Amino acid sequence: MTTPAVGGPPTRLHDDAGHAVRPERSGIAIATDGIRLGFDVYGAGDPTLVMIPSAPIIHSRQWKAQVPYLSRRYRVVTYDGRGNGRSDRPTDPSAYHDDRYMGDIVTVMDATETERAVLVGLCVDGVWRAIRLAAEEPERVLGIVAFAVGVPRLAPPLPHYAEFGKTFDDELPTDEGWAKLNRHYWLRDYAGFAEFFFTEITSEPHSTKAIEDATGWALDGSVEAMLAESETSFPFDIEAVEAICRSVRCPMLLVHGTEDTCQSPARANRLAELTGAPLVLIEGADHMIPGRHPVKANLLIRDFVESLGGRVR
Amino acid sequence: MVTVRAPDPRLEHPVDAGSPTATEQTRARYPDEDGLVERDGVRVHWERYGDRGQPIVFVPSWSIVTSRVWKAQIAYFARSHRVVTFDARGNGRSDRPTSAAAYDEAEMALDLLAVMDAARVDRAILVSLSLGAHRSLLATGAAPERVAGLVFLGPSVPLGHPVPGRDIDFDAELGTDEGWARYNRHSWRHDYPGFLEFFFGRSFTESHSTKQIEDAVGWGLETDPETLILTDEAPGIDRATALAIAADIRCPTLVIQGDEDAISGPSRGFALTEAIPGAELVVISGGGHIPNARHPVLVNLAIERFSRSIAGDIR
Repeated sequence: MTTPAVGGPPTRLHDDAGHAVRPERSGIAIATDGIRLGFDVYGAGDPTLVMIPSAPIIHSRQWKAQVPYLSRRYRVVTYDGRGNGRSDRPTDPSAYHDDRYMGDIVTVMDATETERAVLVGLCVDGVWRAIRLAAEEPERVLGIVAFAVGVPRLAPPLPHYAEFGKTFDDELPTDEGWAKLNRHYWLRDYAGFAEFFFTEITSEPHSTKAIEDATGWALDGSVEAMLAESETSFPFDIEAVEAICRSVRCPMLLVHGTEDTCQSPARANRLAELTGAPLVLIEGADHMIPGRHPVKANLLIRDFVESLGGRVR
Repeated sequence: MVTVRAPDPRLEHPVDAGSPTATEQTRARYPDEDGLVERDGVRVHWERYGDRGQPIVFVPSWSIVTSRVWKAQIAYFARSHRVVTFDARGNGRSDRPTSAAAYDEAEMALDLLAVMDAARVDRAILVSLSLGAHRSLLATGAAPERVAGLVFLGPSVPLGHPVPGRDIDFDAELGTDEGWARYNRHSWRHDYPGFLEFFFGRSFTESHSTKQIEDAVGWGLETDPETLILTDEAPGIDRATALAIAADIRCPTLVIQGDEDAISGPSRGFALTEAIPGAELVVISGGGHIPNARHPVLVNLAIERFSRSIAGDIR
């Protein structure tokens, strides 16, 4: 997989063929710092749902099991985050600052004439940025569905992140297990990392397809973008994170797997305490809930959107 | 906080007929009626789901599996059909007679007709898988007025040619468990689970089939090698009989055949299509031996379309 330069031609992606539905409209939105973001709009219902990508590790196809179902009822906007898919892959760490990711949601909403939307996200990339946007621009967010609730600081990271996060830049004597969470290993064998990572965080039996898909989307991206992103630091302390969470006023639904290997369920519990949002714990589920448990995820999203009722229409 | 966990319907649906099976998974739908049919002292357990529309009988396959092999069909078809299925003698909640004669395909066909009687089904579409084709053909030959249509999935009939490497002596001491050498009475006796893993691994040649393989191995473990040896010793239909019955078939027929079928081989399905006047063939590209489990949406829609075409309701 070659990495196109910023402004280069669109990349041919892992699974361009065989989509269950085709977008009504596709385009490129330009972020405030000039980064180009590829987006798609499906369906024409109401309200609009914006599916936030987990970038730069994977891209908009992570929602492939949601888009066909949800777009029958609602207008669904997906986009590739900076660093993967059809979007630019900047290599300057500042391009991956938290503010940029939050701003990209607004950029795509503007480009698709979406005044207000329900935001759907997974992990930090989806959930935390949705919360920030709801706190900072509440008039644009109708509600949030948060899968695998990734809000940094609300509870300690899981032990493997804590341990190998510290040695990310070191040359390690091994690349066994989570030692693959390492700059030098990524440069040697990024595909090996991607497969390991998605195998670990999709630990339910019978997940070979979900793992293969996610690994493919990771390989659509670029290790340079991943490394640049790894050099940014999270700009908020615990007090600031909690204050932002408390200030959210829109309805939220939290969905977390009891076996999540990426985000501790303690983070979901804490966010539920801070916001009063209902928390659905899925017994036996790991991190990749929308891809691995699509029917459950889709019905939860639908029920949440329907519960907004008059507030939406 | 809400914890989403499927309730265990087994608690509300005690097994009330036949012998209880091993720890069964929860079902998307439970039967509306079930019962036992007894012939010559052998009891066969049947189930009925739904009560509207064109009756469909999901004919049992080889006793290496139970009627749960139709689990991806039952809930869908029960919405708009009277669905009947049963465990072949030798597995599930049916008896395990101890003579090979009891597993004669002619007996299996009589069980099929007896179950239709018990479930008050005069005339049905018979959907069969693999070895079930023998039962469907014999029942159709004996009572064509009771068959509205025939669907064969990966039919294991003595037409066409077998897959390469399957010409293994079932009775000889081979001294190896490599490949099809596992299809052997001694191999079954000393490593039955190993045989099941091999056989269902070959049944599902498609990638991402771990769930289907795990399910099927579980059904295989509900019976035992001695019972399965008896089923192998029992007579099936020969080529001449198969051709004679096929040539006389006058009902609509659909053959669904995976072109990567590594158990029966695709040529058997193709040959059966040619042998039955007017039969339609659907080839699943890249499909293996048990498409109803691995490609349920595709198979269900093909069968539903077939059923509607019989009813004259072509949409």
